[in-house]
Amino acid sequence: MLIEETVASASVIPGKSGALSTPAPTERASGGLRVLLVEDEPADVELALKALSHAGFEVTSDVVQTQQEFTELLRKNSYDVILADYKLPNWNGMESIEILRAEGLDIPVMMVSGSLGDLKAVECIKQGAADYVLKDDLTRLPESVRRAVREKLLRDQNKSALEDLARSNRDLEQFAYVASHDLQEPLRMVAAYTQLLAERYKGKLDAEADKYIHYAVDGALRMQVLVRDLLAFSRIGRQSAGVGRIDCNTLMQNVLENLRAAIQQSSASIVYEHLPTVTADGSLLLQVLQNLVANAIKFHGTEPPVVRIAAEKKGREWVFSVSDNGIGIAAQHADTVFVIFKRLHTPTEYSGSGIGLSICKKIIEHHGGRIWFASEAGHGCTFYFTLPIEKYSTSSDPRSTSTAEKNEIHS
Amino acid sequence: MKFTPEVLLVDDSPADIDLTTAALAGSKRHLHISSVNDGSEAILFLRREGKYGAAPAPDLVVLDLNLPRKTGLEVLSDVKHDPLLARIPVVIFSTSQASSDIGGSYALGANCYLSKPGTLPDFMAAVQSMADFWFGYASLPDKEKR
Repeated sequence: MLIEETVASASVIPGKSGALSTPAPTERASGGLRVLLVEDEPADVELALKALSHAGFEVTSDVVQTQQEFTELLRKNSYDVILADYKLPNWNGMESIEILRAEGLDIPVMMVSGSLGDLKAVECIKQGAADYVLKDDLTRLPESVRRAVREKLLRDQNKSALEDLARSNRDLEQFAYVASHDLQEPLRMVAAYTQLLAERYKGKLDAEADKYIHYAVDGALRMQVLVRDLLAFSRIGRQSAGVGRIDCNTLMQNVLENLRAAIQQSSASIVYEHLPTVTADGSLLLQVLQNLVANAIKFHGTEPPVVRIAAEKKGREWVFSVSDNGIGIAAQHADTVFVIFKRLHTPTEYSGSGIGLSICKKIIEHHGGRIWFASEAGHGCTFYFTLPIEKYSTSSDPRSTSTAEKNEIHS
Repeated sequence: MKFTPEVLLVDDSPADIDLTTAALAGSKRHLHISSVNDGSEAILFLRREGKYGAAPAPDLVVLDLNLPRKTGLEVLSDVKHDPLLARIPVVIFSTSQASSDIGGSYALGANCYLSKPGTLPDFMAAVQSMADFWFGYASLPDKEKR
């Protein structure tokens, strides 16, 4: 799809064959069709315009013969459709498509020409012409123009919806970043001074006062965690250490090191098969693996947790899996576990702000992958995520997972 | 004569000055603490200009980065480029954990970069360990004759 620049001027020149006088800007006639004809034969111009107006179009038109005139008018006015003759004295109508592309304009071009043969006609369409109409049979022209204009309108609407969405996403990210960043400072004051109050005046007021101060401290500390996590979340993709070749086995060693205390406390076994080397942002991928393994340990059942990490090449992507024997996730929560600050348990049951999985999701999507899980409440859970091989990751390990050696770590 | 270290706190937040002062008081060290609220004042204080003609010469400057009029990094740069001030140890004490702030501070000759911790116990511990290090273990330069 061509990227269209906003054309500031919406003026048109009333149809004067071959005229290139200074145009007087007029209001764009609503429902009118603004046509630019690339044609050296005045009789053919007449015929084409007649065909359109007979079909009910209210046409305003300009006619050009040279590339220079064509480019000038494109820059000055905006058009709904271009009717171009294939054969012109010094250029051919197909070149108008190249000029449009160079100018960054998306205007449908109809080739209106004498018979060129099927091959040429197909070539025109391939090069980007909206349609090909024979001069000898202009009855097709109005319907073809109508369709091309309608398609253009749809393209514009799509593009503008996508732009709105992208802008709104950018604004939202910026807001999250600014809010979380700027909230930290005053929040630190509230937390520090309520704590100072608690420290210095505990037992000196009354029991009620002690309780209120405790609530204030608790609230401020919880909000600090939320703000810190929100900031971490909004930073993903903002500042990148850069993409490099990452051996996921080394990454897992770091994960085990970072989670050593939790692994020991829960007597967890972490099992990982020989993992691939991928191209990714190492610190971000580490966060994903660490969050998933930490969750697998945290939400354990009555048995000591056993967490298995594996990767399998499927088509053009690596499918990683992190499976556990923990409490599992009920199916109805499938959509909500990845939502930021969404928690399925009370803080007394399981700690945490509920940021972990949304961070995982954002990181994996940042790498062009997907993340999901399969689970049955009470029967463990497996999280899957993919990393595309083409764009971000490549395999350095031709061994299949079935023959892979196993590294097993016990607490 | 017992050595009473002179500390200059540069911070635009009175709440942070109070908190840092309270933390230093908690270190049980005998310190003399002065404070200013913006970067320009800090430079006047250090050069004993204007109303600071009788200001003490600090043994340690504790400098926030986000300051009005003259930023912390500008103050740091001025101090480290001034032959009379360059040897005074400067501890950057800021909420920022941006690598550009940390790297930039060290590049300009900061002697230490300390992030302001979010919770009171951590804040107290950080300030007290800073005082312990600079006034308990580190050797400080003689003061310039001015």
